[in-house]
Amino acid sequence: MAAAGTCGTGTRSTGSVVAAASTNNVTSFQRRGPRASGADSGCSRLVSIAGTRPSVRNGQLLVSTGLPALDQLLGGGLAVGTVLLIEEDKYNIYSPLLFKYFLAEGIVSGHALLVASAKEDPADILQKLPAPLIDDSYKKECDEDVCSHKTESDIKMKIAWRYQLLPKMEAGPVSSSRFGHYYDISKRIPQELIETSKWHGFFLPEKISSTFNAEPCSLTSGYMKLLQFIQNIIYEEGFDGSNPQKKQKNILRIGIQNLGSPLWGDDICCTENSDTSHSLTKFLYILRGLLRSSLSACIITMPTHLIQNKAVIARVTNLSDTVVGLESFIGSEKETNPLYKDYHGLIHIRQIPRLNNLIYDISDVKDLAFKLKKKLFTIEGILSTQELNPHLLQLLYCKWILLPLSHQRLHLPPDLSDTVSRSSKQDLAESAKLLGPGCGMTAGGKKHLDF
Amino acid sequence: MLESLLALGGLVLLRDSVEWEGRSLLKALVKKSALCGEQVHVLGCEVSEEEFREGFDSSINSRLVYHDLFRDPLSWSKPGKALPGGPLEALRALDKKTSSGPATIALDSLSWLLHHLPCPTLCQTLHALSRQDSCPGDSPPGEQVRVLGLLHEELHGPGPLGALSSLAQTEVTLSGTMGQASAHILYRRPRQHPTHQTQWFSILPDFSLELQVEPPLESQPRSDPHTPSVDPTTHLTFNLHLSKKEREVKDSLTLPFQFSLEKQQALLRPGLSQATSHIFYEPDAYDDLDQEDPDDDLDV
Repeated sequence: MAAAGTCGTGTRSTGSVVAAASTNNVTSFQRRGPRASGADSGCSRLVSIAGTRPSVRNGQLLVSTGLPALDQLLGGGLAVGTVLLIEEDKYNIYSPLLFKYFLAEGIVSGHALLVASAKEDPADILQKLPAPLIDDSYKKECDEDVCSHKTESDIKMKIAWRYQLLPKMEAGPVSSSRFGHYYDISKRIPQELIETSKWHGFFLPEKISSTFNAEPCSLTSGYMKLLQFIQNIIYEEGFDGSNPQKKQKNILRIGIQNLGSPLWGDDICCTENSDTSHSLTKFLYILRGLLRSSLSACIITMPTHLIQNKAVIARVTNLSDTVVGLESFIGSEKETNPLYKDYHGLIHIRQIPRLNNLIYDISDVKDLAFKLKKKLFTIEGILSTQELNPHLLQLLYCKWILLPLSHQRLHLPPDLSDTVSRSSKQDLAESAKLLGPGCGMTAGGKKHLDF
Repeated sequence: MLESLLALGGLVLLRDSVEWEGRSLLKALVKKSALCGEQVHVLGCEVSEEEFREGFDSSINSRLVYHDLFRDPLSWSKPGKALPGGPLEALRALDKKTSSGPATIALDSLSWLLHHLPCPTLCQTLHALSRQDSCPGDSPPGEQVRVLGLLHEELHGPGPLGALSSLAQTEVTLSGTMGQASAHILYRRPRQHPTHQTQWFSILPDFSLELQVEPPLESQPRSDPHTPSVDPTTHLTFNLHLSKKEREVKDSLTLPFQFSLEKQQALLRPGLSQATSHIFYEPDAYDDLDQEDPDDDLDV
């Protein structure tokens, strides 16, 4: 990928520029302004912190989310100072994986961690993080899967053979090991990595007082305590630049699990109109203010499928920067859909921020699905592995002809649909309903289209 | 079925409705865990103690520790008699009492508690109750505390139901047809996919469970609410169907832009099989057939 190539050369070139500027006998060009002496004090405009890289589009400092495929979808990574909101899937199976990837990436890159949860003890969460994979073993995993896929795809790609040329969503192992690592879910992270890392835990049942007080403040007490905790850590550890003695800058990765669930004391999932309905949105607003003024990135998982008031979900989406929704197929009718048989769920990129930018960084592939293999979590675009069904095209054609002929609801004839999957039939039927009234009115009466 | 419901530990949610009541299943589960020799605590809110203990024999009744909230829920009588502090304190007291050894707590019912306590507080208390073990995930299932909660799903909106379902490790929804009760069980094991199971059962008068075979589905008259489907392909002027022979021919057709093996071979071979192209030219009367190169006189 071009981005991966430039990231390595980019940081190297800034390093060399700095080196050339400091050794003033190489070039005759003089640098105007106060000459920086030594390595400290911001002479380099780009902060060179381990595990980060500047974005190729706007120079924004990015951290990896732990999943290189997700990094690619988000335009290179998660920007420092922003919030990544994961909308949990219904049974909360896959969103903890993304949460763990984020934290594991922090440990491997040497960042500081802050883990907050109301359900599990943060020490236990850290014990269950996946182990990092070295490059060679990932290549072996990739090759196994590619071999199994090749035989299938050769048969299918007869008409839409040009789709074979489309690049797959997954990027190969990044050449520089400083950004984006791969993890093995079946193994736990080695204990010594956790011990050498700097982490802070916030477990709500320990922090909250045991007596039940109906406090009149607008923010739920759990949220208030969490915000104070985060603020303390940021101030004490100097992530907001308040501690000038610290030379080595580092990123703080904050992970908040199940925000908005009743275990945090918030009743936004229980009732539609509650008195404290603004506490979650206020929390996100204050959190974003804290993040913007410090070198930190935050991941939040939220059970939005439980939130009763849909307006709140819209507000929460606006208050977060990047929003990714997970939809798993378990228990839904899509489980038996042949379209989705290789995958475990869909990923929806609901929002991508425009940071110092006028345009969005949206990827071209819109239909994204994820798959949890034994060791890896992969994200793929669905359309790249499916041919355009010729019967589907035929169906679309005859629907356009047949709509003015029958004013009743159009039902697809059964013998045409032997290769069309059930859900695409429903989609077509719905699009037919949309087309129906329009075509009927313009056709006006029982006029047949004559050719 | 009862063993599998009790095996997972954590919160077991029994959702019943007016037609299919769940208290008998709750009592069957209580009896089962009492027979296993565990401590059983019952928080009774909806029915009186006598009514709950009815049907159990004396050995089980002696193992049940009954906390009565039905008689005096608001603690109006002398403070020594009833449980002080209301339902929340009662729950928290249960938390402390069951700290040793495996125990089962039966809450009869969660609906009553939901009406008297705010939902987030109840969820937090239930979560604290059901994660009694000091090292979660490592202790054997027998050591864990089981919380059986009876929930009348018609009394609550989707919010509290969803919130409690997300907390529960096992969720049993009672329904049935034609006088036969069935339980739709959803197991949410911690790091695995949730699994469903449907079991037909009946509870005997001594609160033991008897599994039943699924009753045969009677063929209901299919009421088609839509008008009979019109087959649009019947009166067309063109043919949309392919016969088998046509389908075979279509499948074996080489598409024009497909770089198949034959084309590759044809291009690579110098053209022995095909004749090279000839140009046949019939000169007209007006054509100038000068064989010399007209550009010869140019000084190029």
